[in-house]
Amino acid sequence: MSTAAREFHRKAAEKAPDLVHRQVIQRNMVSYDIAVDKAKGRFRDWQAGRRRAQQIKWEAINNLDKLLEQFEAKILERGGHVFWAADAQEACKYVVDLARRRGVKTVVKSKSMVTEEILLSPALEKEGMQVWETDLGEWIVQLRHEPPYHIVTPAMHLSRQDISRLFREKVDPTIDTDDPQKLVAVARRFLRRAFFVAEMGISGANFLVADAGMVAISTNEGNARLTTSVPPLHVVVTGIEKVIPRLENLGLFWPLLATSGTGQPIITYSTLIGGPRKAGEVDGPEEFHVVLVDNGRSRLLADPEQREILHCIRCGACLNACPVYRNIGGHTYGTIYPGPIGSVLTPNLAGIEEFHHLPFASSLCGACREVCPVRIDLPLHLLQNRRKVAESGIPGLAEMAGFKVWSWAMMSPQRYNFFGALSRMGMRMVKALGLSGSLLDPMRPWTKYRAALPAPRQSFRELWRKQRVVEKPE
Amino acid sequence: MALRVALFIPCFVDQLFPQVGLDTTAVLRRIGCQVEFPEDQTCCGQPAFNTGRWDDARPCAERFLQVFGSYEHVVCPSGSCTTMVRKFYPDLLQGESRQQALALGRRVYEFSEFLVRVAGVREVGAEFPHKVTYHSSCHATRELGITEEPRILLRNVRGLEFVEMQHADECCGFGGMFAVKFAEISSAMGDVKAANIEACGAEYVAAIDSSCLMHVEGILRHSNRAAKTIHLASILAAGSK
Amino acid sequence: MTKIENPSREHILDRIREALRAPAPPVDMTPVPLEEIFEPVADPLGRFLAECQTNLMEAVVTANTAESAERLAGLLTALPEGEIFLQDAPAIREIAKPLEGKRSLRWSTEGAPSESCQATVTLAEAFVAQSGSVLSSSSCGGRGASVVPPTHIVYGGVSQIVPDVTAALRLVNEKGLPEQSSYVGLISGSSRTADIEKILVQGAHGPRRLVVILQRG
Repeated sequence: MSTAAREFHRKAAEKAPDLVHRQVIQRNMVSYDIAVDKAKGRFRDWQAGRRRAQQIKWEAINNLDKLLEQFEAKILERGGHVFWAADAQEACKYVVDLARRRGVKTVVKSKSMVTEEILLSPALEKEGMQVWETDLGEWIVQLRHEPPYHIVTPAMHLSRQDISRLFREKVDPTIDTDDPQKLVAVARRFLRRAFFVAEMGISGANFLVADAGMVAISTNEGNARLTTSVPPLHVVVTGIEKVIPRLENLGLFWPLLATSGTGQPIITYSTLIGGPRKAGEVDGPEEFHVVLVDNGRSRLLADPEQREILHCIRCGACLNACPVYRNIGGHTYGTIYPGPIGSVLTPNLAGIEEFHHLPFASSLCGACREVCPVRIDLPLHLLQNRRKVAESGIPGLAEMAGFKVWSWAMMSPQRYNFFGALSRMGMRMVKALGLSGSLLDPMRPWTKYRAALPAPRQSFRELWRKQRVVEKPE
Repeated sequence: MALRVALFIPCFVDQLFPQVGLDTTAVLRRIGCQVEFPEDQTCCGQPAFNTGRWDDARPCAERFLQVFGSYEHVVCPSGSCTTMVRKFYPDLLQGESRQQALALGRRVYEFSEFLVRVAGVREVGAEFPHKVTYHSSCHATRELGITEEPRILLRNVRGLEFVEMQHADECCGFGGMFAVKFAEISSAMGDVKAANIEACGAEYVAAIDSSCLMHVEGILRHSNRAAKTIHLASILAAGSK
Repeated sequence: MTKIENPSREHILDRIREALRAPAPPVDMTPVPLEEIFEPVADPLGRFLAECQTNLMEAVVTANTAESAERLAGLLTALPEGEIFLQDAPAIREIAKPLEGKRSLRWSTEGAPSESCQATVTLAEAFVAQSGSVLSSSSCGGRGASVVPPTHIVYGGVSQIVPDVTAALRLVNEKGLPEQSSYVGLISGSSRTADIEKILVQGAHGPRRLVVILQRG
């Protein structure tokens, strides 16, 4: 078992029975579910929207090179810079070098999961730069020195009292309110100062529009607007897979993302940036860079069966639908991307050696597939990742041998009957010896949490055979 | 009627819940089917498949095609095993075998699906005077689209008071090996399901999958809750003709 | 601009091209018309006004320029002391005439809005009925005008309403906006957040109030 796997089990064991934690998530999910239902009602045919979105993303990913080049050409024409980063180090180096050259001391950031993936903030902070998250949820978890709990609502796990206490400790000792309105005002006042002194603004991208050559960034708070308007230098850090072919595709994707992400008709500030400020414009950054991050995505692209994982628009709906996520929460996964998408993405991007456990941390219930707005078959990818793990030999010889014996037994009804009867006898013995649920119980993973399984003396086929002898068929 | 039906009894039903097999047989006979049990059957291969060991699952699939290939109607008291055959065998097999699997998959039915959609039967003369709720197992609900059939059958049982629980189609947490490999999470999910069952006031929770039921039963007993689990077939087999 | 060495560019593109040589399982490409996904908007003005309500925006329809000027004056005189930033366009100059001397006005030709300004007044590229949105751009007074102030007032005409987001984006392309303006955006309400216990709070980083003055004439 890898370190990550051990950690996962340890945290899951802590979180799963935590009823307070469970209640917090349930409450959040109830609000979310109601809002999403309402938002879906604004579509004439939500399923048609999903089908079309799947088509557009399929087209985009399967023409990725051409569309990225189309996008890049437009940005360059307008005086922007485009840097292609093979991995996290290259991406960080580019941004850090740029920041150093420009004498950057303060950085403001709007939400970007990719920047967390490449560990950009620590790299900038190592250079002595101050980095401020400006999405309220992200800023809150930044102050707490913890990772985001959810890819859309990073501070979902915290109460207003938690946040009030946090602000009192880290921002202003005179804060004595837990009124959300007043707490938001605190954040606004504090972060405004950061926006107006920062020399660099870093944003992510929800979409890269190929035909218009523009970066689409959506926020409700307007923090990405300020991040990309006030500082003199704007850097976009994005995965290469965020491409969509045409500007008008956003006529579907913007409502789709908002519906699945937060249950809104559209996200308040749906922004398109095509380059640095043009001559004659009132304001805006003089310099504009787009960092296109690969970091394992092209490798995933090369697997035609799993390529569609790259269709993900990071709406978070699969997290919300997942009964595992709802129980263990976002911090248990120990990954940048938690939930179902995290479980299929992370082993592919970060390797199955460390994350071999993630594809198995699912009951394969399929709720995620039902809600995915671009129709990614997440359970299928979980199964395929399980196959990759099994074929890699990671689970070890014992499991492999066990299944070989099992397979051999299943090839003959006599062997099958024999092993079945033997198992039942073993179960009856454990019970008879009073070992059920004890550390000596081979079924302890079961019996620690559940009453022991029944172990009948006769199997169905034995009873059937008896019946057949006694009864005549009708 | 005289529909000739082959019973596909999941390995864990065969070994741990034989009564479900007997009840399935009784109900099918009651509606006039000629029921056979191909004794050569073993396991559909799902445990190996779900563990990523497709090479170990494949022989089970090939074998299944041999054992059941000649039957017009194969009936199984399990949504997840039916799903394995109908949905996943074509992913597992290639060429000629895959074609056979596709064809056979159309002839393999989950029990309630068979009663309502094939035999056209919604009422089987059962009596079960209790308050019953229904847990909609994941594979059955999301892979096979079986949501109405079990409810129709339950509602037509004499004396049965049917109540819906909250989130009836939320996963109970069993998930095969998941129940053991991630027992801490599996049991928490089961706990949520058990709470929903308790909240709706049902005496019994019915389902078409014994896998779900054995997990939920284990949780209910462990948490000293009152409700009991029961397979749909056992409810339908109850009461006089 | 100095070109930064970027050998990874070719490597990444090569890997992508190589990867795409293996075809992905196809998906059903049967065309899905937009009307199947979204009900066509029957009454754009009515829909726009209804959506503004949902979005917690204020929208007022005026008959002519005089009324628009009156509305604007009413809105601005009610605000606390402080600078008002306005997009320097003839239409805005027109309706802002009554304010000269009454409020401290800063025009976009003089520079960006100051952080402490009380309100900004701008035009819009269009209005979107489906989502109750203002289609804005950096040609409408710059980027900051729609996000820096606590109150943002947009002045436009009923004839600028387009039915849905797709139509708005087609308009963006038709007008050549991506080449003319470095920023284009849809604004669908006041700034808000629900990051604290999912409770909606207005006025996060952007304006708390978004007001649209829609003129018929």
